[in-house]
Amino acid sequence: MEVPKNGYYNFSLLYVTGIICSNDVTVSGADVNYIIIKFMKKKKVWLLRILVVTVVGISIITGYSNSLKAVSSLGKDTLTMITSPDYPPYEFYDTKGGDRQIVGFDIDIAKTLAEKLGFKLKIMESDFNGLIPALQANRADFVMAGMTPTPERQKNIDFSIIYYEAKDTIVAPKGSNLKQPQDLLGKKVGVQLGTIQEQNAQKIAKKVAGIQLKQLNRVPEVVQEIKSGRIDAAIVEDTVAKGFAQANPDLEFNVIPSEEQSGSAIAFPKGSSFVEPFNKVLQQMKDDGTLNKLVAKWFSQNTANPASSSPAKGGLNLDFTRILPDIPFILRGIPLTLLFTLLSVSLGLIWGTILSLLKIIGIKPLTWVANAYTSVFRGTPLLLQLALVYYATPQLTGYDISALQAGVLTFTLNSGAYMSETIRGGIQAVDKGQSEAAMSMGVPYWLMMWDVIFPQALKNILPALVNETIGLLKDSALVSTIGVVEILRSAQIVGANKYIYFEPLLFAGLIYYVLVMGMTLGASALERRLRESE
Amino acid sequence: MNNVVIRTEFLCKSFGKLDVLKDISTEFYQGEVVAILGPSGSGKSTFLRCINLLEQPTRGRIYFHEQEITKPKANIAKVRQQLVMVFQHFNLFPHMNVLQNVTYAPIKVKGINKQKAQEHGLELLAKVGLESKVSVYPSKLSGGQKQRVAIARALAMEPEMILFDEPTSALDPEMVKDVLEVMKALALSGMTMAIVTHEMGFAKEVANRIMFLDQGILAEDATPGEFFQNPKCDRAKQFLEKML
Repeated sequence: MEVPKNGYYNFSLLYVTGIICSNDVTVSGADVNYIIIKFMKKKKVWLLRILVVTVVGISIITGYSNSLKAVSSLGKDTLTMITSPDYPPYEFYDTKGGDRQIVGFDIDIAKTLAEKLGFKLKIMESDFNGLIPALQANRADFVMAGMTPTPERQKNIDFSIIYYEAKDTIVAPKGSNLKQPQDLLGKKVGVQLGTIQEQNAQKIAKKVAGIQLKQLNRVPEVVQEIKSGRIDAAIVEDTVAKGFAQANPDLEFNVIPSEEQSGSAIAFPKGSSFVEPFNKVLQQMKDDGTLNKLVAKWFSQNTANPASSSPAKGGLNLDFTRILPDIPFILRGIPLTLLFTLLSVSLGLIWGTILSLLKIIGIKPLTWVANAYTSVFRGTPLLLQLALVYYATPQLTGYDISALQAGVLTFTLNSGAYMSETIRGGIQAVDKGQSEAAMSMGVPYWLMMWDVIFPQALKNILPALVNETIGLLKDSALVSTIGVVEILRSAQIVGANKYIYFEPLLFAGLIYYVLVMGMTLGASALERRLRESE
Repeated sequence: MNNVVIRTEFLCKSFGKLDVLKDISTEFYQGEVVAILGPSGSGKSTFLRCINLLEQPTRGRIYFHEQEITKPKANIAKVRQQLVMVFQHFNLFPHMNVLQNVTYAPIKVKGINKQKAQEHGLELLAKVGLESKVSVYPSKLSGGQKQRVAIARALAMEPEMILFDEPTSALDPEMVKDVLEVMKALALSGMTMAIVTHEMGFAKEVANRIMFLDQGILAEDATPGEFFQNPKCDRAKQFLEKML
């Protein structure tokens, strides 16, 4: 499967996210509202509450992060592997019964290797094109993801010997009869971004005129593009193509005859001392037949449920019964999404308040810094900020930030910038007579801000705050790009496992919508209550 | 009557090029009720707001019990506790009920025990005739009621002096009487008061001194008897002709 060098921004995912999230959402609304009510009523309790939420949140995050954290920090008895579990049968989530376990051909090999070398194995995940950056950032000891050694990759990372050889195929609608690279003349061809298939497709495109390539983030998306007629064919590895062809009777695939190798190997950071021992064990496994047994186990079984209905022409041909067993798995993404949103909103509110004060108190350099900060964070894409924070932090600071921490940090920094403007407006909209009345009784500045100005400002900005929370809840889907298994990623995992596309996404969309509606209702109830107290 | 609470020396205030106050030197004695009169734009309100430094004077000095409060290092917050202001537009805190409005500053600023502050607050609210509105929010009160709460709020700080900035100008006529009565009772109790007002009758009856400001100058400083019977400057004469 693949190949990447860089490009971890996953813009096409953003597009998917857009589709999925066009409805709205959220959860933590109720909690936030609760906090705000408290704020209006009893400030001390509010303060306490924020403190508790923050502390609890941080400890939960830290807990999560431990399970995600690179091994290197855990000591020498554990090896950390990073993979992209959306590629059955190499690696994918076993979603039956809501369990969250990564399984597959690569995983079995990795387990055997770790066992024979006397290590425990820890598995992390990310998008495929985030794997090499993760190695370079020393987030993991090795990558197994059906990765093919290419000269480009070898400049940045080291590889083991090849442990499995795969062939490329052309996947196309049934009856297309595309068998040779030459048959692709003048066609639109889809490939997964950063994969060896993308490179091979580019080679073919050089030889065959008029091929138009379309790169997407995941194989299920590529397949979906064929089904929706936006591309004519795709180049996909044979085992994967087989799965999709079984699940989608309207597709066919043909192996491309090729003399070139495109086998899979294990990737290591440049200069890793693990390459040698791994090679030794791999060779052993080849010699004693262990590897062949695993190939038989994973590549001959039928992992896909063939579509129950016959291929309909037109329409989405939805069959939700196919994801019924996986619904608990998707639902498990909800608490994480909620926690994420709640933390980002509370921390963003605190940070935004600080920024807005910097803008208000009128010390020139501080105002300037706060304005510059706001303009940078409002002027660049959130997805880009997220990728930078996640991938650059370990290299810049040496701290191995977990995906969830990076997500909360980025969203706090980003929403703080937006909220600071809202809060500034809210504060400045409070009648000047209020501060004069407080000052004329000798109330000190900060006490006045806290007791007199903020509560009124908060009421002014409540609707904007609710909007921001809803926005954050939906944007939380972006952290799926760095491997946090929240609602959207859970749905994508299920889709990858089952070789289907729409059903899990629609289900995830429904969840988001229900969450947002719940939050919207809670917010309007709160607003009504606040108005009554006036 | 010779205990000086506030003394101003050559007090000047400019907004940009506009000189609003010009060299005002005077003093306010303990127990005095001073009505500050003058045509609109004469600088009355600015003068009052300078006294507790809601406006920073451009030049000149202000002394509180002979301590200069216009010095950069002066503890303004401390002084303001003694020079509380009552505003034309009341400026009650809308997110606090009536009793909370009255007890907030005593509890938070003076550190008075909550229960004591509430007892005192209830007494004061009874004094201004609003004991039935204790737990109501300001938005449910009439203008006159709001202003009486504001007066109770000022009194709760137990200040040396209260500064009234056109306290009845925003009220419907029938509300004015209630507020003036409360102020009159306050004057009789010996509270030091400075009142910017257009209520000539009230100034005549209750004040024991009249300051007349004209174009930022303290044009006349007299007893009500002298001022209303026999004003010295022409501007004051014209002003009184219009007002009476």
